[in-house]
Amino acid sequence: MADATLFVTDLAFGLLLGCIFAVIAHGLNLIWGVAKVVNVAHGEFIMLGAYGAYFLNLYLGFNPLLSVPIDAVIGLGVGVLFYFGFLHRELRGKESMGLQSEMVTLVATFGLALFLTNAAQTLWTGNNVGIPWSPGALQIGPVQLPLGGIYVAIVAVAIIALSHAFLSKTYLGNAIRAYSQDIPATQMIGINPTFVAAVGTAVGFCVTMAGGALLTVWLPTGINPSLGNLYAPISFVIVVLGGPGKMWGSLVGGLTLGVIINVGQLFLGNNISLAEAIAFLTLIPVLLLRPEGLLR
Amino acid sequence: MRLPALRSFGPTIWGIELFIIVLAGIARWIPDFLLTVLIQLLIFAALAYSLNLITGLTGYVSFGHVVFMAFGGYTLSFGVSALSLPPVVGVALGAVVGLALALGIGAVTLRFRGVYFAIATLVIAVAALRLVLVINELGDGQGIPLNIGFEPLSWFYTISVILAIEVGLTYRITHGRIGYGIRSIKSDEDAAKTVGINAARVKLFLYAMSGLFAGAAGGVYAWTTSGVFPYAAFDLTFSLQMLAMIVIGGMGTLLGPMLGAVVVNITSNYFLTVLIGFQYIIIGLVVMIIALFVPEGIVGTLRKYIPEIRGIIE
Repeated sequence: MADATLFVTDLAFGLLLGCIFAVIAHGLNLIWGVAKVVNVAHGEFIMLGAYGAYFLNLYLGFNPLLSVPIDAVIGLGVGVLFYFGFLHRELRGKESMGLQSEMVTLVATFGLALFLTNAAQTLWTGNNVGIPWSPGALQIGPVQLPLGGIYVAIVAVAIIALSHAFLSKTYLGNAIRAYSQDIPATQMIGINPTFVAAVGTAVGFCVTMAGGALLTVWLPTGINPSLGNLYAPISFVIVVLGGPGKMWGSLVGGLTLGVIINVGQLFLGNNISLAEAIAFLTLIPVLLLRPEGLLR
Repeated sequence: MRLPALRSFGPTIWGIELFIIVLAGIARWIPDFLLTVLIQLLIFAALAYSLNLITGLTGYVSFGHVVFMAFGGYTLSFGVSALSLPPVVGVALGAVVGLALALGIGAVTLRFRGVYFAIATLVIAVAALRLVLVINELGDGQGIPLNIGFEPLSWFYTISVILAIEVGLTYRITHGRIGYGIRSIKSDEDAAKTVGINAARVKLFLYAMSGLFAGAAGGVYAWTTSGVFPYAAFDLTFSLQMLAMIVIGGMGTLLGPMLGAVVVNITSNYFLTVLIGFQYIIIGLVVMIIALFVPEGIVGTLRKYIPEIRGIIE
């Protein structure tokens, strides 16, 4: 039955798309979990990661997967700068993030978002660019899947698993988790709160920029400075769906969103706008009924 | 010092109202180019005051205010093109739609606090664009162009009336009994509830008023731009500009949004001739610096260092 093939194809595409959504939201999840801060400029850092991959391809001929580690290292540095520029003043000497500080960081990072989008627009123009890289397709029965998307999904899940392992198996990771739960207690057992928070933020940015590089595989001709306007709301929804600070939450939220968008448009008569609207609005019932996220 | 007497007179509110009345009085002699610049300034001031009602007064950061503005514009365009109403009626209907929408959205989203409210409003704005794109009656994703000509004086008088009412309302709210309740919600919502303030109702009232004025201003905006086009109407840059204005001017103050609107508009108009997009780089930087180092904005900082003028600028 042709319909069943279509359904399976859309489901598989939704899952692949969900993996890339998950990894771009994962960086936000890490920062939100550690510092209890929402980075409104998250989408702009995804955009910077995508442009990083684009320029590495343009000048050095790297394919997007090769530029992932390079983008990740740049992200580490950017994350440390971001922590000391935006979060340190609000978190220093505090026991937790107050509503007032929360508002300050929201507004300040929103200013950063406005700045970064338009600086990118001025520097690189608003034209769409892309990386010509397509490693072919994989045929499983009647279903045809892009190999690039499969590679990306594997790398994405690996990044999330690695960050989970880092946070639960290493001393530094445990210190970061302790910090996110109780700052005074962390200081009491001799952990430097500034160092731990800076490392946590840096890891978050590392994953964000790596996610931006991975995203370029899905956007063969669609990298532009206002990329963040779409992917930031997607990331927010995913993190809330999965639950902020839960490492597998990004994957659950990402897959949910990817499947809703792709399978949804099949049932809504190929209407991607409506499917996207429904995917975005799932945020509201989840916040009302399970504010801690879908994962327990 | 005769300051107390001046204070009870409320110079800021009368100053702003007088400014609007004088402008309206001489509007007939203002050249068209300058008038369109002024109209844009007043539209953005109206939007800034509307966001100020919820974000400035209660501290609930709304990133999705563009929704009310866009639906105000859609209401006007639909009313004028499909029902052939006069545009002023369209603006009034836009205000009603903004009010109804704010009541609906607010009833759900105002339950969330801090970042969750900000994210919920942002996501609703993004989703609303996609819903409008698929509604056939609203231009089928192409928008609704209008053919009603260039009439700057009507635009000017309409937006002046809206702004005058809005500023008066802001003054009544902040200086009346409800103002104490609002300030206590901003500093500690749980404590405010404990002393018997119906926080949910106060917030919903402010959000509804905010939606009403944003809808009206959006209607006038669509009238000046001869129609609405989905991607331009739901452009999140509008939300960001409104927020930038109240952050720069001073959140929750009476004079702040006006000052912020003037600063942002002058920057925009000045740099527009230099390099497109450059004005947002400057505005973004300014917002960042103000949020991090002087979170009270222009008016708040003045109030902090010159306590004597507190009553005058409020």
